[in-house]
Amino acid sequence: MAVTEIDSSTESPSTTKVASADKRPRRKTRVFDHVVLLLGVLLMMGPIIVAFTTSTFDHVTIHRQGMQFGWGGEFLETYKNVLYQEGGFTGEVTGLLMTQNSLILGLGFAIGKIVVSMLAAYAIVYFRFPLATFSFWVIFTTLLLPLEVRILPSYEVVQQLGMLNTYSGLIIPLIASATGTFFFRQFFKSVPNELMEAARIDGAGPVQFFWDILVPLSKTMMAAIFIIMFVVGWNQYLWPTLMTTEEGYFTLVRGIRNIMQQMIGADIPEYNEALAMAILAMLPPALVIIIFQRMFIKGLVEQEK
Amino acid sequence: MLRTTLMSAATAALVAGTANAQTEIVLWHAMGGQLGETVNALATQFNEAQSDFAITPVYKGGYEDTLTATIAAFRAGEQPNVVQVFDAGAATIIGAEGAVIPAEDLITGAGLAFNADDYIPGVRYFYADSSDKMVGMPFNSSTPILYYNVEALNEAGVEPPVTWEQFEEIAPALVEAGYVPLAQSHSPWIMTENFHSRHNLQFATNNNGFDGADGTEILVNNDAIKTHFTKLKEWLDAGWYGYYGAGWGDNQTPFENGDVAMWLGSSASFGGLRNSTDFEFSATFLPYWESITPEPVSTFIGGAALFAMSGHDDTENAGVAAFFDFLASAETQKFWHMETGYVPITQAAYDLTKESGYYEETPQAEVGTLQLTQAAADWNKGYRMGFYVQIRDVMNREYGRIFAGETDVESAFAVIEEEGNRLLERFAQTTN
Amino acid sequence: MEKAQFTSPWLPYLLLAPQMIIIAIFFLWPAAEAIRASFFLEDPFFGTATFVGLQNYSDAFAASDYQRTAWFTFVFVVLVSLISLGIGMMLAVSADRVLRGKGSYKTLLMWVYAIAPPVAGLIGVMLFDQHIGPLVEFVAYFGWDLQVGVDYWDTGFAMIVVATWKQVPYCFIFFLSGLQSIPTSVKEASAIDCRSETRRFWTITFPLLAPTTFFLLILNITYAMFETFGMIDQIVKDQPGNSPVTLVYKVFRDGFRGNDIGGSSAQSVILMILVLALTVAQFRLIERRIHYT
Repeated sequence: MAVTEIDSSTESPSTTKVASADKRPRRKTRVFDHVVLLLGVLLMMGPIIVAFTTSTFDHVTIHRQGMQFGWGGEFLETYKNVLYQEGGFTGEVTGLLMTQNSLILGLGFAIGKIVVSMLAAYAIVYFRFPLATFSFWVIFTTLLLPLEVRILPSYEVVQQLGMLNTYSGLIIPLIASATGTFFFRQFFKSVPNELMEAARIDGAGPVQFFWDILVPLSKTMMAAIFIIMFVVGWNQYLWPTLMTTEEGYFTLVRGIRNIMQQMIGADIPEYNEALAMAILAMLPPALVIIIFQRMFIKGLVEQEK
Repeated sequence: MLRTTLMSAATAALVAGTANAQTEIVLWHAMGGQLGETVNALATQFNEAQSDFAITPVYKGGYEDTLTATIAAFRAGEQPNVVQVFDAGAATIIGAEGAVIPAEDLITGAGLAFNADDYIPGVRYFYADSSDKMVGMPFNSSTPILYYNVEALNEAGVEPPVTWEQFEEIAPALVEAGYVPLAQSHSPWIMTENFHSRHNLQFATNNNGFDGADGTEILVNNDAIKTHFTKLKEWLDAGWYGYYGAGWGDNQTPFENGDVAMWLGSSASFGGLRNSTDFEFSATFLPYWESITPEPVSTFIGGAALFAMSGHDDTENAGVAAFFDFLASAETQKFWHMETGYVPITQAAYDLTKESGYYEETPQAEVGTLQLTQAAADWNKGYRMGFYVQIRDVMNREYGRIFAGETDVESAFAVIEEEGNRLLERFAQTTN
Repeated sequence: MEKAQFTSPWLPYLLLAPQMIIIAIFFLWPAAEAIRASFFLEDPFFGTATFVGLQNYSDAFAASDYQRTAWFTFVFVVLVSLISLGIGMMLAVSADRVLRGKGSYKTLLMWVYAIAPPVAGLIGVMLFDQHIGPLVEFVAYFGWDLQVGVDYWDTGFAMIVVATWKQVPYCFIFFLSGLQSIPTSVKEASAIDCRSETRRFWTITFPLLAPTTFFLLILNITYAMFETFGMIDQIVKDQPGNSPVTLVYKVFRDGFRGNDIGGSSAQSVILMILVLALTVAQFRLIERRIHYT
């Protein structure tokens, strides 16, 4: 939106006309777009809204009648319980502690991944060196072998490095996957060549080019990757479960699994609490999305300067 | 309420912990939800009852997560003192000789009394070795029983069946009354493993697999069970039996909703059923075929056991022994049994619970234990087969195919036998 | 067009170092161990192993349901990858075009992505419950007796829906960022050249999105292949029985749940080679046609 304003105020009248033609598509397409988006939101958000309404019922009702569309009236109690109850043997597992751990995991993973993968992608795309293609494929293979298959040796490595029960042991091994590198590679490849040639003429070296031109240019991409990776880190389950033996490292997803996993026995799982915790667990990533979603536009403005 | 008492107890234990030089022991378990809280309560009770040891339970995810975490930790020398392992994983951990210290050795080694006869017969041998020495400490144990909707059976004017022959007689009346007569959860456990134990049929060579993995073959391709599944398929076609897939809950829900009149499930299910049903229900023993045997014997258990891991010093092992001893005590078992619905593992605990008058209010809670104390015989001690998770998968798949009409009983059991034996052969190669 | 490139004897290696070191320590070494394990049958606790040559591989192919599982995996991966790609692109293009409510649409559509995989699975399981699931009741109006857990393809349908649902926002985010990085000047020029929205999309926007599409296609395939087994496990409620499962689910089931380290490693080596070959082929065939600049 900001772009239009800059354009219309600074550019010639003809551009303004075109820009407004572009920005005001015919009514038919506009209606069509809204229908598509509304349907999309309904399909995407529908299950989550139902999960939310269901979480306001008591667990026996949910167990017997399934998901609920109405308002169950247990909202306050359930959510208060989830937020403040002190769980675990030591009693230190609270909603707050689990949120904190999930945050550390999400932020550490997202930031680490962006830094590491941007550097690697920069090397692969912008440098001519013998091992470029080979390195790319080595990085790529990390997508093809799930952690579950290599979990025993992975654990041994982390143990030998003395990283059990540490945040770095939790985060660093997860960074070894190719998504970020692959994505930045795609993006860098589509950056116009002229930019680099111009930079070269200006006498900019590789470091300067990266820092002054490529990084600002990549803001939208970084925002996208940040959202994606933050959520991936935030939602980690298996690796933290195996890696940590202290209750102080419990994450939200682990808490959710704990509630859900009631065995065939004494009682019915507390679906309401699991769903409530799931809804609450979505709020911090949602905040990240709201913040970074703005960068999707800001990045564009910077690019246009 | 449990939570608050737990909290204060935990705090008390922590305070006590700083006062004395206690030996720390760690327990990894797979009990989520309320069961997990009960495990925490047990640990707190143990810590309060004595001052030499402090046990810390850690929830490590599901059964598989816990076992894998243990394996990874063991390979790295970081294993906990005690770990909970489920029935189908028993062969893996017991087969790895030297990974665990047999519970019996541990307890007697610490100078504590151990008498195998204190334990309920159906429980005693399941986690034992070939010489009946108890290796795993039975922890959460249950056995398959038949639940029935009292109102449905009254409407149809029938009695709960003792034998499958009787079931065939009453099924039409139940259909007439508007019910699906029968459903059941977990065919491998109830309709296969415990089918063999109930009828005292051998389930695998090498003494049901207890004598070692080498050359063990599954004996599932027999006429008795094939007749049973032929009948099941006939019942399904006649509307006497409802098959709702391999998932446990999918088969339990129609019973809870009053569509199915009788359901085969776990003896530990009654606590959940009490909350999830609004009709009167009761329970009775797992039916048997009179044509196969007129004298049915006890079933065995499913669930999980606690294993003491090797590689710890004597003091810590003594702590584990003390914890096992505490677990086996009648008081603890009564608490555990009443809180969770799992069967008490000793005769004394059962007697104590009975004295308390608990079974008069909840007769369903007694059925499992009574069934486990029925006659002992040659082939109802349990089984020990490796890669058993995969063997159960093959069974479940083939049963699904039978009921979907994709295969016939004869070829389904041939496949189970063949693939089962292939898996057993592979497992034997891992334990050379 | 060849990319303009720097030359430096050491800088590229320095830039690659963090990633390569992490990969070498935390991926390659464990992965090499897994590959080694595929030639052995080993006791999980002690790692004492018997060398069995290619037996794990031949056993994997000999399983009676291997073909059926492979076929379902193929159908599952193709449908999940393409449907989520299509929906994600449609939503991103629309979200990029509308003026009113742009921010809300974007936030809401991305939000779904935040949900934790086990919870997504749980919601899927509850919606598709064969007795009390709202979706099952809904399709019953149309005469479809949807029985997840009993009927093979009904169960497969539920898996495809849940897996796609989880992946659409992912595609949406990347497509949107791709669209945002198309310079405004290009959009304006295209608006003059071509008044038809549909034609403008196919002739101008789509080619510009090609690098993103290609990236997402590859990632969707690896997602559907390697990251969905947890969800599948939830839908089959821990008991695959006669339900459809994917090849990676088998790897997970046999290895992680059944402790058959050798067998599961062999299966995953087969998959790794297969998907790697497929991806290399895609890079050769498709990426060549993509104009990056």
